[in-house]
Amino acid sequence: KYIELQVTENVYDCEANLAVLKLYQFNPSHYQTNVTIKILLKAIANLPHPDFSLCKYLIEPDKLREEPLSSVVALGNQLETCDFEEFWQNLASTKSSIPAIGSVMGFTDSVRKFICHVVGISYQKIKTDQLCRILDIKRDQLAVYLEEYGWKLVPDDPSHVFVFNYEETIKTRNISEKIGFPQVKQLAPVLQNAASDCHKRAK
Amino acid sequence: MTSWDEKVGGEPADYGNAVLSANGSYTILPEPVKTFLCNFEAAIRNRNVYDIIQCYEAQFPKLTERFFAKYNWPATQVVTEIVSRSLGGKEPDQLFVILYTEMYYKHIYAHIAGGPSFEDREASYFNYCDFFNFVLGTDTPVTHELPYQLLWDIIDEFIYQFQNFTQYRAKLKNKKDEEISTLRDSVTTWNIHSVLNVLHSLVEKSCINEQLRELASGGDISAVAGEFGERQLYKMLGFFSLIGLCRLHCILGDFFQALKVLENIDVSRLDLYCNVPTCNITTSYYVGFSFMMMRRYEDAIRTLNDALAYHNRVKSSLAGRPDVADYVAKQTDQMCHLLCLCLSLHPMRVDEIVHAQIKEKYNEKNLKLSRMDLDEIANTFQYACPKFLSPVPPNFDLPENYQMNPMRQIKEEFISEIKQQARIPDIRSYLKLYTTLSIEKLAGLMNTEPQVLHRELMCYKHKMQNIVTADAAAAAAAEAPTASSSELDFYIDGDMIHVADTKVARKFGELFIRNILKLEDVNRALTRLDQFIYGVAAGEAGPQAGSARS
Repeated sequence: KYIELQVTENVYDCEANLAVLKLYQFNPSHYQTNVTIKILLKAIANLPHPDFSLCKYLIEPDKLREEPLSSVVALGNQLETCDFEEFWQNLASTKSSIPAIGSVMGFTDSVRKFICHVVGISYQKIKTDQLCRILDIKRDQLAVYLEEYGWKLVPDDPSHVFVFNYEETIKTRNISEKIGFPQVKQLAPVLQNAASDCHKRAK
Repeated sequence: MTSWDEKVGGEPADYGNAVLSANGSYTILPEPVKTFLCNFEAAIRNRNVYDIIQCYEAQFPKLTERFFAKYNWPATQVVTEIVSRSLGGKEPDQLFVILYTEMYYKHIYAHIAGGPSFEDREASYFNYCDFFNFVLGTDTPVTHELPYQLLWDIIDEFIYQFQNFTQYRAKLKNKKDEEISTLRDSVTTWNIHSVLNVLHSLVEKSCINEQLRELASGGDISAVAGEFGERQLYKMLGFFSLIGLCRLHCILGDFFQALKVLENIDVSRLDLYCNVPTCNITTSYYVGFSFMMMRRYEDAIRTLNDALAYHNRVKSSLAGRPDVADYVAKQTDQMCHLLCLCLSLHPMRVDEIVHAQIKEKYNEKNLKLSRMDLDEIANTFQYACPKFLSPVPPNFDLPENYQMNPMRQIKEEFISEIKQQARIPDIRSYLKLYTTLSIEKLAGLMNTEPQVLHRELMCYKHKMQNIVTADAAAAAAAEAPTASSSELDFYIDGDMIHVADTKVARKFGELFIRNILKLEDVNRALTRLDQFIYGVAAGEAGPQAGSARS
């Protein structure tokens, strides 16, 4: 029931969901496919956190391999490998066979949030067309997202969206060695002796 | 599996002046064994922790090796009788009886060929129940004191025997029908719920979580410890139970919970809490493994690195305990394997000495791992992972061997995760060569389309993001701080990839200084030796030799 609540109210409690899966692990007779699907969907919606993997570890592989779980797993895998365009295509076709996907409120929003997160960490500038494609939105809807994340269209070049100025943060660094004076101080008597020895021999 | 009595069924054994009679009803044990038993009982009764440690860590293994290398120790009733006779008819201390029985069964698991029978396993389980009832079943805390090593060993062995039993129960193929029906009927023996219950009760009774929280915030522990938690026995049992729970969750496949139970413990400074090396090493192993499964590679590498460095430091102190040496060696080896695996997925700098160790032993393996050789990865994982368990009994009607199933399940998932990361090392190696690189060029080098490459680069970034907070609860929160700490970083600007690499210059200065000072020391030592030798010679030969020398 708590799962239903999470689904309809768009909240997420990772621990509780994992606890339910564990309950199924301990009592296989109580297993319910519907609930598991919803838990997996909520885990996918919480990417980039590894909840999706954690859930998979607690579910029996036989169940994961057969429908309807296997389609959900495929969707999750596509997102994990950042195969976003495939994902949107797949989602459209899977939605009809698994009504549960439609019932999870805010699912597509969360997915888009994840995609924007990945774009945010990877790109300084990205082609607008590309961005729209991976977000599965039209050009006119782009403005909303731009505002949300503080991205801007490049002033002279509307075919690119400026994401974040990484030039400052990601730079090659050279960590060179610094020999401190205290370390050299240790050598002072040694070097002094060596120097005086040389002098003696030179004479 | 012969007992002491049965072994000498016909012939008397001679140990100095102790002779074993043939009929077993009146057995005279060797004197050292009897003295040991009485001393051990006295130490426990008198709460003399130092003596207990001596008996447990030094004398018991020695006597085992000398007299009982292949045979059981005498049964508990025999021992109780002997000790009671030496006490003039009084009952020996109850805790002594329980602890002796525990050591008796531990010995069977470790040293007797063929391992324990079902009856042994069941009896050992009931003995543990006795122990936990003794400790938890009272309204006021017991007044005994036991050394930490002993407490940790009890919890460790408890979970180990549970693990062993579950594996034994799952191997149905070669069992006789009566064995299978006994297993089917014995629902309560080594039941997972009881095991979990015991550990949770210990944690609750000792209020260990509250105490740890107070410790971390610098507050007053005694205010929250409660009546039971104040006593060292309960406090340490609570602490070790937390670690036991972590281990249990890990082998059941719930890595999130495994880390969560340790949320109040600072895993990087375990030696602050207790000085039991085997505990610290085991904890780091399970924590490191859980981090790796949660894709927190940086934390995993750091934990494993610290553990291996710690092991190097305590190796000498462990040398005196041959009974745990094997176990510790295996775990450290497993940790090395895990570290190799993590480093191939997420290259990072590690401690110099540890790095040298790994390079020496596993160079070939590292090469294969870095090339994403899936077989090598699977083998490494299988060697390094703990023995996973399923919490439910197997299907008794279908006699098959089920014990490997949980492990296979987790391994499969892990490999599919690795497959998703398969292209990352290639990308990394190409990026290392450039400061800027166009998408087209990289796509050409990697034989893919630019479209696909965009996807793979995003995947690289996504997978390499680690959660950088140590707090398990915060990690699950929506806004957990993440960062990519990989030394190689990049960003995509339209169609160009800009690469940033961190180059650490080789440290020559330190090496030179160290060696110069060493040479100086050697020179000084030689001069002194020189003076000593010729000084002696001068003394013998008389003053002329001395003056000629100088």
